[in-house]
Amino acid sequence: MSARAADVSASRPPFAAAALAWVFPGLGHFYLGRRKLAAAFAVIVTLTFLAGITFQGRLYSVEQGQPLTILATFAVYGAGLLNIIARMITDNPGGTILSPTYEYGCAFLLTAGLMNLLLMLDAWDIASGKKP
Amino acid sequence: MIALFPTDHFLIMTLYALLVSAFFSLLWRKERRERWKLFGTLIVSLVLGGLAVAWLMYPFPR
Repeated sequence: MSARAADVSASRPPFAAAALAWVFPGLGHFYLGRRKLAAAFAVIVTLTFLAGITFQGRLYSVEQGQPLTILATFAVYGAGLLNIIARMITDNPGGTILSPTYEYGCAFLLTAGLMNLLLMLDAWDIASGKKP
Repeated sequence: MIALFPTDHFLIMTLYALLVSAFFSLLWRKERRERWKLFGTLIVSLVLGGLAVAWLMYPFPR
């Protein structure tokens, strides 16, 4: 990390860094001056999410009588704008349960959301000086 | 888009291991050498672990 990136990180509010990290993967790190890392995270999380959509996984929503869908929905919404845009443009947010790759798709989508939640925490820690 | 991603089960598992390993090696390590070391450890563990679990479950197809 360059000295300039360290200066930028120290002067940014943690809430803004975490919020931007939620909006799009890597945006929080970009805001903190860590551009290469931001680009790498953006590629990895976006690829994971696109793989989940391609494998016909499910964009979870909360269902009555299915308490685990609360956790799954939280995880998928962690992907920020990727999840919101995917819900707007897809005609099948529930995935294709009969597809042989459905379970893989769900795992990829959940993982992409959870990765982005970790990026939010990481951006928060960097901006607040807890992580160098 | 479909042509971009594999449909073979083993390749999908390997793709998953690749993405997860790359993510955590970048998140948890700062030095280039340390990152490659963690990446290698994670991807080998995930792929071999997946194959081991698949082998153990072989007698229970359903």
